[in-house]
Parts: sequence; C-alpha cells; structure tokens
Amino acid sequence: MKIEKINGWFALRGEWIVKRRWWVLAAFVVLFAVGFYGLQFMNINDSWDSYFLEDDPMLIKTEEFKAVFGNDNYAAVLTECDNTFTKENLELIRELSNEILDSLSYADKITSLTDIEFMIGNEEGMSIEQIVPEEIPSDAEGLAAIRRMAYMKPHIANRLVSKDGRLTWVLLKLRPFPEDSVWNTGKGAASPEKITGMELDRIVQKAKYAPLNPRGAGLPYLTDQKMQWIGKEMPRVMGLAILLAIIVLAFATRSLRGVVVPVVTALASIIVTYGMLGYMRFSIDSGMMMIPMLLAFAVAIAYNIHVHSYFRRQFMLHGNRRRAVVETVGEMGWPVLFSALTTFAALLSFLAIPVVPLHFVGIATSTSVILTFLIAVTVMPAVLSFGKDGQPCPKVQAAGGGWLDRRLEAFGQIVLRREKIILSVFVLLTAFLIYQMTKIETSFDVERTMGRNVPYVKKILEVTESELGSIYSYDMMIDMPEDGMAKSPQALMALDSLQRTADKYPLTKRTTSILNILKDLNQTLNNGEPAYYTVPDNEEEIAQQMLLYENAGGSEAESWIDYDYRRLRLMVELDKYNSTEAERELNEITALAGRLFPGAQITPVGSMPQFTTMMQYVVRGQITSFGISLLIIGLLMMFVFGSVRIGLIGLIPNVMPAVVVGGLMGWMGYPLDMMTATIMPMILGLAVDDTIHFINHGHLEFDRQRNYKGAILRTFRVVGTPILLTSLVIGANFAVYTTSKSLSFIHMGILSVAGIFTAFLADVCITPLLFRRFKMFGKEEE
Amino acid sequence: MNTTIRTIAAAAFMTLATAAFAQTGRDIALKVKDRPDGDTRQSEMVMKLINKRGSVRERKLISYSIDVGKDKKDRKSIMFFLYPGDVKGTGFLTWDYDQTGKDDDKWLYLPAMKKTRRISGSSAKTDYFMGSDFTYDDMGSRNVDEDTHKLLGEETIDGHTCWKLESTPKDSRDIFSRKVSWVRQDCLIPIKVEYYDKMNKLHRKLTMSGIKQVDGFWMASQMQMTNVQTGHQTLLEINNPKYNTSLNEAKFNVTTLEKGSF
Repeated sequence: MKIEKINGWFALRGEWIVKRRWWVLAAFVVLFAVGFYGLQFMNINDSWDSYFLEDDPMLIKTEEFKAVFGNDNYAAVLTECDNTFTKENLELIRELSNEILDSLSYADKITSLTDIEFMIGNEEGMSIEQIVPEEIPSDAEGLAAIRRMAYMKPHIANRLVSKDGRLTWVLLKLRPFPEDSVWNTGKGAASPEKITGMELDRIVQKAKYAPLNPRGAGLPYLTDQKMQWIGKEMPRVMGLAILLAIIVLAFATRSLRGVVVPVVTALASIIVTYGMLGYMRFSIDSGMMMIPMLLAFAVAIAYNIHVHSYFRRQFMLHGNRRRAVVETVGEMGWPVLFSALTTFAALLSFLAIPVVPLHFVGIATSTSVILTFLIAVTVMPAVLSFGKDGQPCPKVQAAGGGWLDRRLEAFGQIVLRREKIILSVFVLLTAFLIYQMTKIETSFDVERTMGRNVPYVKKILEVTESELGSIYSYDMMIDMPEDGMAKSPQALMALDSLQRTADKYPLTKRTTSILNILKDLNQTLNNGEPAYYTVPDNEEEIAQQMLLYENAGGSEAESWIDYDYRRLRLMVELDKYNSTEAERELNEITALAGRLFPGAQITPVGSMPQFTTMMQYVVRGQITSFGISLLIIGLLMMFVFGSVRIGLIGLIPNVMPAVVVGGLMGWMGYPLDMMTATIMPMILGLAVDDTIHFINHGHLEFDRQRNYKGAILRTFRVVGTPILLTSLVIGANFAVYTTSKSLSFIHMGILSVAGIFTAFLADVCITPLLFRRFKMFGKEEE
Repeated sequence: MNTTIRTIAAAAFMTLATAAFAQTGRDIALKVKDRPDGDTRQSEMVMKLINKRGSVRERKLISYSIDVGKDKKDRKSIMFFLYPGDVKGTGFLTWDYDQTGKDDDKWLYLPAMKKTRRISGSSAKTDYFMGSDFTYDDMGSRNVDEDTHKLLGEETIDGHTCWKLESTPKDSRDIFSRKVSWVRQDCLIPIKVEYYDKMNKLHRKLTMSGIKQVDGFWMASQMQMTNVQTGHQTLLEINNPKYNTSLNEAKFNVTTLEKGSF
C-alpha cells in the first residue's frame, strides 16, 4: 500500500475535523450519554456456572445434574465458641439457624445442631426427635444429655459439631436458582447467588451473633465476598492508575489538553463499551471487570500521546495550529488505525477460549480499543485545533527534535553498531525463557490465585481447613442403564464400596450419598442397634424403607437418588485443594465407578471437575488464542506492508514479549489462571503497536532516503519518544496492579510490565537490526 | 310498575351482595375446611409424580378413614400401598387429634421386615406428602387460623362463580408467603389455588377438576399441583370414592395394618 496516499486521505479527514470540530465534539457527547445510560443495565455476576458457555458439555452435565438432584449450591455458617453446649450458645445457634432459614430468599432446608430431625430406634418403634429440646435446659445434667445425643450417631455428628464441641456447622440447602431470564431483567438485577451471599453476610455480621464468631461459607457467599472485595479494590486500583497516568501525561505533554483528553478518552471508551454490553444484557464477571478498564486506559493514553506528540512537533516547527492538526491526522491516522486494528484482532482472539469471562474480556477490550481509536483521532485533533497560532521554535527546528528525540537517535546509533551482541543476547534469552515456559502450571484454586493476604480468602480458607467446613467438592453421578436399578441391593453395595474408597483419599473430608440415609434408617428400624448401620440386602426392604422415609416427610433422599431410581449421587467434600492430587483422585474414583457399575454412565460434576475442565480450556485456549492473534497480526502486516517478508519479520519482535511473559510465569511459579491467561494476547496486541509505528515510519523514511541507516536514525528521532512514553505510561498503568493484595493481580502487574518493556526493547533493539539485515524495504541507493 | 320491580330487584340484589360480602375471608376458609365429607370415607388413589424431565413415579393406594371422638373432630385413617410391587402391603395407620398440642399417633408396617413400628414425635409441618408437591397442609390438615384470610372479590371461572380468597400465613416460616384461592361457591371446592414464595413469586399452582357429587358429597376426583419453579408436578386421581360406608372404628388398629387389607 502506498503510505503517502493513505496519509493524504487521512489529511483530508483532518481538514474535515477541523472544519466541523463542534459537530465532532457534540457527537462525542451524545455517544458518551448513550453509553452512560446503558451502564445501569450492566450486570455483574460470577458464579462458576456462568463461566461456561451455554452449550458447554460440562454445563450441560451440570444442568442435568441439577435437574435431577436439585441445587448443588448451599449456604453455610461455621460457629466457634469455647463450649457450644451452654444454654446461651445453643439459644444463639437456634436463633441464627432460624434467621438464616427465614431471611434467605432461596432457603430450602436448614440443618444445624438445633434443627435436625433425629430418628431414634427403640424396642417399641422409632421416634423423631430434636437433639436440642424446645426449652433448652440450663442445668449441667440437661446439657450433658444434649451433648450425649449430639454425639450419639457419629455419622451425623461429624457434619454438625466438632469433637471438642467448639465448632458447629449450620448448613442451608437452597432451592434451585431460577434461570437467568427470570432474574436478569436489566436495571439493578442481582443474581440469585449474589443475593444469597449478601443475605448470609448480613446475618453473619450481626453483633448479637458475635459470641459465636460466625463465618460464612458456600460458593454464593464466596462469590459475594469476592465481589465486595473487588468493589473496594477496583476503585483503588483505577484511582491509582488514573493518578499515575496524569503524572506521566503531564510530564510527557506538558499541557492541560494533553492530560485531560486522554483521560476523558479512556473514561468515555470504557463507559460506552460497558454501556453497550449493558444494553446487550451481558453479564460481567467481577474479577475480570478491571482488565478492559486498564487496557482501555493504556491504549487511550498511547494513541493520544502519538497524536499529541506529533502535533506538538509540527506546531513548534511552524506555529500554525490548524495546519499542525491536519498534518497530525494525516501522518498519525493510519499508524494509529493500523495498530488499533491489530490490537483489536489480537484481543478478539479471546473468543477462541470457550470460557465466558474471557469472551467478555475479548469483546469488551476489542470494542474499547476501536472506540478509543475513534475518539483519539477525532476528539483530540478537534480539541487541539482550538486556540491561537504560536511562534515557530527555532531551536527545535535547528536540532530537528527535542532532547529526548536526540538521545534516542544516539541510542539508535549504538544499536546499529552492536548488532552481534544484541542478537546473541536475544537468542540466548529466548532459548532460556522457552525452557522456563514448559514449567507453567495451571491453577484455579483461590489460595494460589488470590492468596491468603486477601482477607476474605484467609477467612474462607480457615473455614475450609476447620474440622467441619468445606468449599470445594465434587459429585459423581452414576447413571444406570435402566430405571429402578439404582435401588437394587447390588447397586447400593457397589456405591458403598465406592464411598468407602473415596473416604480414604487424602483430600477427602467427608462423603455423602443415599447410603447415609438408608443405613441410618435401617439402624433405626432395627431398634437402633449399631450393627444395623448397613444397607439392607433385600430389594423389598430397601423399597419399603425408602417409601417410609419419604412418607415421614424426608425430602433429603431426592438429593441422592433420582426419580426413576436410575441415578445415584456420591458427593465428596474436600479438605483442601491441590489441583494435581485432586485431579488424580477424581480420575481414579471415576475409573473405579466405571468398574463397579458396568454399563452405567459415570459423570463427575461439581466445583472441582468444573475447575479441572476450565483449566484445560484455558490452557488450550491460551495457545489457540495466541496462535490466532499472531496469525491475524502477521496477515495484517503482510497485507498492509504489501510483503509476506515484512509481515513475517515484523512478527519476530512481537513474539518476544509473549516469550518473556510465559518464561517468567514458569520461572517464578506464577500459575496460569483466568487473569494471567489474558496477558499474552493482550501484550501481543499492545506490543505490535510499537512495531507498527516503527516499521511504518521506517518504511516512509526509507522511501524518502533509500538508505537504511538514515531511515532508522530518523525513525528513532520521530517515533522513539512516543514509543518510549507510551510504554512508560502503559507500564505504569499495569504496575498499579502490583499494589494489590491479591496474588493474581500482582502477577498480572509484574508480567504485563515485563511484557510491555520487552516489547519496547525488542522494537528499539531488534526491529532496526532486522530492517537492515533483511533489507526489508528494498535495496539501498548510493 | 316496572320501575318498582326494578327497584325491589336492585335492593334485593344489593342486600344479597352485601350479605355475600359481609362474609369475611375467614368465614369462607372455615366453610371450605368444614365442607361435609361424611363420617367415613374410602377411596383408591393414584398418585403420579412427574418431574421436570417428564419422569413419572406412579403409586396406587387404598385409603380408609373415619371421624371419631367428641363432635367427630378426630380422625383415624389407614392406608395401604397397592403398587408398585416392591412396596405392596406397606401400610400407615394414623390417629389424628384435633386438639392442639396433642401429637398424632402413627404406626407403620413394612411387610419385608414383618415389623410394625410406632412413630412418635413429629417432623416439620411444611414437609411434602410422600414426595409429592402437596404438603400435608394442602391435603387438608391446616387449621384455618394459621392464616389471615382476606376476601378479594368474586370471579367466574369456567362458568362457576368463585370467591377469590387471599390467605397469608401468620408464621413467617411457612413455605408460602401468601396463597390465592378461587373457591367455587356452589360446592366450596377451591378449583384453583396459587401459592407465592417469600419473594412473592408464583411457586405452586393447584387445579382441581372432575368435580362431582358422590353419595351427596362434593368431591374433586382430580387434583394437579405444579411447582412452577421446579417444573415438578403431582397428579392425584381419586377413584371409587365412597362416603358414609359402614367402617368399624375398632378395625383402625395395628392388627388390620399387619393384615395388609381392611
């Protein structure tokens, strides 16, 4: 493509902008207002299920599981006091249980020390009793009787009260959450998960329960806590990012317009993007919400600096304001558009990862990049066109640029002289980092991604590590070939041995299945004798006991054996999370289930299998997405520079930042999680901007001079400063992440900064050498 | 002349209408609860539980009951399962006392274990009846004064004039926050009931059909309860209902239960 011709076209647009600057500004205000109005429809959500795409097999399995066994989410509270078995504490636990059941919107059934139906078998029959009587006694004897009853059935005690009597577990089963279309009605809609978490938090925080030291648990609670934390963290990080940007911009542009316009551009593109997503009823993941914001900020500043610095140069050269604006749009319009397009393409590659939050990042970031481009090349020039003409600055004219421009040109001289050393360091470093990349681990557990320094993570991990609490679990759904088979003695015996095996795993805290109910019932019906804590071996007996259970108002069984007596469920709650060991146990138990239930379909579901699947998606998706963006960027460069060679060579400096990011992750042991997975394509999208400016200007200068050295040095002088400044600003922006307490934010910050500076170094050290070595723009003329 | 008739008619209508509206919601609820159903009754019941996925659990039972005690306020009933085969013969015997605070007496017999067990104590009252969408309360054991009733007006459904009655539980722990019933004025059967959850969203919907008089008593031979939130539904079909047959109170005992038939 003829760059001069394109620049001519852009210059005409520049004239148009100057002539209709008021219209440009008015259009911008309207766009902003429309976007702002859409913000109220924005929906923040982050339940694990919402991470999967609608047609994902994992989600389909989970939905099937829920349709059969009900909501697998629960809300829970761990209480802790010196002695649970006092009148005051028991009364308080009862009050807490009642309040949870009464005030949680999706409450279904509560189980706690004060709310448990307890079947006791005796000679005459069976009685259904409460462990804690209606009137709680205060005398030692009465309390001792309660304590005795609480520990009477070990298989029930181990999920209600700790051995030392200090901890108790209050568990609320939740009704199935309605589908998204029911609650996501726009304006201020909150997801059922969020509502549940918020309601539980409100209760747990109440001063009257302080003696119980209650701590919330369950994924809805975790979700709410995460959102609360991010709600505080986001304004802090964004505030710091804006402040830093203002400082760097003030230093770089030394003008009010140069500071205000980029900040307004960034805010506008974020608001308009989020507003548009709001109109589309998109659910936004709270954890990922900040990524498009910081990225929009980075590109808004970068594009505006390019525009502003070129304008300032031209304005100082001849002092004619309007002419400078037209020249700026003419010269900068194309490279900025091209870099916006490549960034757009790189970011859109997130769509290749079948995970909702990453789709969101892809759509939100790419949209905001295009918006930022539009605003930067229209609003910035329009604003710059206001004001008086100035005097040409003879010093700048004579020196052909500012102090920094000349320093960079001198640096360019050094680069051209030290080709061998630079290229060897480059090759060695690349080899080392690629080796490190092989060590990258994927992890989604809250401890490794968020870290214990985040207060809510610390709290939730303490609950998990306690004798009673748990957050991670998995379920095995065993689908027998025919209806009615699940209640056969053979199937139940097989389930028994599966459950026993799962009980022995190092990560297992406890297991639950229909057997817990059946065995208890069998014992109760046989005068409460512990020897009968077994599965009856007679088909009729099982059927009749289950009927009895249902008829006595027992509704729990439905959660463990399905309607057609075809599917069984085994739930395994975990003590701690260790992705490797968890995956091993899960695979092993799945295989064992396959052997124990020949002909049955075995499906693992629940938070842990979801993590495992998600990890595989992210790893695979990360590679695909990086590959796609590399391919698109390569193709775009080939097309624009009209040469396959230039396109391919142009990719070399751009792979470098990704190699550094990946290498660092492997070397420092930063896990690949949802957040760090966004870095590589994002950095690629940003890094390519520098390369484009460098190649674009280099090409232009070479066409003018037909001499590589001259063209390269001139390029250093003209685009060196903006490239350095944009890298500084973007780097500073991402560096803000490191001030967070959350590990994945810190990793994100460190890796992005490393990536950005690698991109800069690669562009000023490698790109010019590649120019010269490969004679990228053709033969030199003497 | 015409005017006079019209005036009288209007006055009469007004009086009637006022009389109709003078009934409080509670009065209507009480009427429904006290609708005559004989001193003894027996019927066969087919219960179909259908979940969202369309799976069906079918059960057949035969049930007998007799009103006993002072003012015939107490009730003894016995129920045997006929189908499916693996639970055939399983029986429940209940002595239900009207007196508040007095626990019901219950026995069950499991033929596979050849054991009768007496069940004492009580489970939570909002539990569902045999895994169905009906709660025990829906099956008629709920006391009128557990709710506050409000007459919302009259509506015609399928040609039948109905009272529209709103009942709000006094106990906030009930599974519904309010229910709206359309009670047919001619037979005092609520032909449609809507139950709302704590967030005031429709939760369950009951429709009664096949309304007819048997032995002089109104009854609905088909009841359908749908949980609109879970998609689960229960169809209850009452076959061969008989009222005021000669059942012997003395036979409502454990011996009959163990025999497996009345």
